[in-house]
Amino acid sequence: MEDTEATGPDECLVSMKSVVKIYPDGTIALRGVDFTLRRGEIHGLLGENGAGKTTLMKILAGVLKPTSGTIYVGGRKVGFSAAADALKLGIGMVHQNLSLIPSFTVYENIVLGLSRRQLLNAKEGINKLMSLTGLKVPLDERVEGLPFGVRQKVEVLKMLFRNVDVLILDEPTTNLTLTETRELFNVINGLRRMGKSVVFITHKLREVLEVADRITVLRRGRVAGEVPRVEASLNLLAQLMVGKDAIPAVSRGVSTVGEELLIVRDLWILSDLGTWAVKGVSLTVRSGEILGIAGVEGNGQKELVEGLTGLRRVEKGEVIFRGQRIDNLPPSELYKLGVAHIPEDRVQVGLIQDFTVNENSILGIQRSMFFRGFLNTLAWDKVVEHASDLITKFNVIVPSLFSPVKYLSGGNQQRLVVAREISKEPQLIIAAQPTRGLDISATEHIRGLLLDLKKRGKVVLLVSSDLEEILQLSDRVAVMYEGRFVGVKDVGELTEDKLGLMLGGVSD
Amino acid sequence: MRGKVIRDVLVKTGNVVTAMTAGLIIGGLIMQAYGYDALHAYYSLLRHALGNPLTDAYPLTSTLSLATPLIFTGLAFAVSVRSGLFNIGVENAVYLGALGMVLASGLLRADTPLVLIIGSLMGLGLSVLFAFVAASLKVFRGVHEVITTIMLNWIAYWLVDYVRVNVFPDPRDPSKTIAVPPSARIPLLIRGTELSASFVIAILASLTTYFILWYTVFGYELRATGINLMAARYAGMKTSRLTIYSFLFSAVLGGLAGVCEITGRPPHYSITTGISNLMGLGFDGIAVSLIGLNHPIAVIPASILIGALNTGVRGMQIEARVPFELVRLVQGVIVVSLALPGLLSTLQKYLGIRRGRREVVVS
Repeated sequence: MEDTEATGPDECLVSMKSVVKIYPDGTIALRGVDFTLRRGEIHGLLGENGAGKTTLMKILAGVLKPTSGTIYVGGRKVGFSAAADALKLGIGMVHQNLSLIPSFTVYENIVLGLSRRQLLNAKEGINKLMSLTGLKVPLDERVEGLPFGVRQKVEVLKMLFRNVDVLILDEPTTNLTLTETRELFNVINGLRRMGKSVVFITHKLREVLEVADRITVLRRGRVAGEVPRVEASLNLLAQLMVGKDAIPAVSRGVSTVGEELLIVRDLWILSDLGTWAVKGVSLTVRSGEILGIAGVEGNGQKELVEGLTGLRRVEKGEVIFRGQRIDNLPPSELYKLGVAHIPEDRVQVGLIQDFTVNENSILGIQRSMFFRGFLNTLAWDKVVEHASDLITKFNVIVPSLFSPVKYLSGGNQQRLVVAREISKEPQLIIAAQPTRGLDISATEHIRGLLLDLKKRGKVVLLVSSDLEEILQLSDRVAVMYEGRFVGVKDVGELTEDKLGLMLGGVSD
Repeated sequence: MRGKVIRDVLVKTGNVVTAMTAGLIIGGLIMQAYGYDALHAYYSLLRHALGNPLTDAYPLTSTLSLATPLIFTGLAFAVSVRSGLFNIGVENAVYLGALGMVLASGLLRADTPLVLIIGSLMGLGLSVLFAFVAASLKVFRGVHEVITTIMLNWIAYWLVDYVRVNVFPDPRDPSKTIAVPPSARIPLLIRGTELSASFVIAILASLTTYFILWYTVFGYELRATGINLMAARYAGMKTSRLTIYSFLFSAVLGGLAGVCEITGRPPHYSITTGISNLMGLGFDGIAVSLIGLNHPIAVIPASILIGALNTGVRGMQIEARVPFELVRLVQGVIVVSLALPGLLSTLQKYLGIRRGRREVVVS
């Protein structure tokens, strides 16, 4: 695992050369990325969804193996087979989803996995570390009772206690309040003074400018630019992040925009962690219109969609569809009113993997009288007819109508979901990430279907982190950032740096 | 399509046969190791479980008779697994079904078929009541059903035993409760055997369960909830209500096992000391359901298999002189290996979902 080979200048603690990562399902996450990290440096790693930030850092932390490429740590070539190997060389990562054990105390979590010898004087060691770094956490309290910000500090402390020199933080501010973010930045600055290196993964432009010494921008698995802090500006970073080719020149088709069918006023929705995920969102969509909601994932889009589709409680605000209040109505009622939902997660939500194609083709419309037969039973002949109708009309390729959908490819699964939802003849369709992970033909097909709905005067609410998709389909675009809309613009008014700024949380 | 179904059934039957063979071989090796003739033992097992039906109906009818309650309890457990629950309360449903019959016999004190009707209603009512407790705790307070149903099993056990000792003991033989009056008993199919019409009721219950699960919207929603709660909610199903219904469905099937056991099995027609004639029927249902891969129709052959084993092991003791403890051991080995394919596929499903989640990568 270690053959010595001289690399660049001495202060380069870590250097990664032409790293490529192809996932088993064929997704190319990194297409040859170079990355260097100096001693005592805070390095911002910026990019939108799918740019490859997390993948790159997981490789550095030994969580993932690169398909090709080399990594040097302290001038020596290394190959990690587990996160523990990286930790031995002083590289630790705090993941976006924290990995603490809720029923253990903070102290137990920090020392978890250490040897008996390391446990001697551990408490004093941790206390010393806390006063040194300013990270104050209650050692004897159970983690389950602590707010998210404190839990994150515990993770950081856990890594520091293992004597890491390189600390990787993956989108650390996502669930933090403003004050907590401030505190975190103070800690990061303190770490720099201690000579530690920090990689700060984020999509937030202001934050990266505030804290980083050097910024590497990734775009679609490639390095779009590497800028020292002094040369960086909001506009430059936004442009690098989004790219010049972001805005496609596609004719969207003309439709007659009609009355306002969907009106949302001051919507507030909680996240699973009990913090506000949606903070007072308002929007209106007219018939024959597609409203695109862009944004980097984790800014409240998921909760917004779940709130609108009856899967999550709306705490405050109102949703009016065709003059009727529909907030907090159950999904079955929403369906009757003509609302269809293409969920973000087709594997776990949109389909039942062990059910057959037939069975899945009526998911959500199972109570429709259309599928009832003699004595109110489920008439399988009608279900089969419906399913075969769907797969021929929407080009879904299936081994058989009677095989479980888990044997369908991802693209065909999604086509089935979209086909089913469109077959409900909805007045309003809420499509979340409708083409994620699909090949070009499936993507084009599904986008065509959404445009077709719009032309027929329906309302389409498109939530996507794929900018190209948002720009290609939407008439108006809203960008969501930290639970709010940064702005709602006609698609014609958008330029790439304006869009990049909005994604990074900067409104004009 | 039809060919595919047949192939599927053949493959799964093949699995069971393989598992059974493996179990028999291991059991045989154990018996040989202890110095008993395994081939002779298995031969007497087969002879006692099946015999020659043309000349002597007794062995085969005993097998079917022992299989009858297992069909009910197997179905009850299969229904709960299909709806995503691990409902051990089938055991108490059996006790309470039987208790209802005893109460009706004791209260009415009349030799009339009315006792059968009122008794089954009371029995099923009690089973449903207990199941409702577990269901409400699950749905409204999030208490896991394994915990509550195990507790309820013991509550039911001592309740039944209290009635046996203090309320309706048989005046001539205080080790049992009073018996169900003759005209309220389920008639025997063949005179001189133990096989009663409750076997037919069990078959009908199995067909009905199959029909409900696959040919009604209720069954569709029950199965959907069992496989994927998120998707069920997404599809507008009232998942809490479905969970409650699933408990009640299981309770009715389990209660029927108790009712049929006490009204359709000679010679006692009553609950015996320590509830010995009912105890374990619910737990055996778990094994039956796993062998039958939680399918209502497959539960029938699975029950008959276990019924045959239970009948046949008597032969192993009497003819091959294998001691009781060893017989139980061999029986256990065979049941475990039979249930293994079902257990593995259930586990695989669970682990598979977990693994799938872990592979999702967000960057």
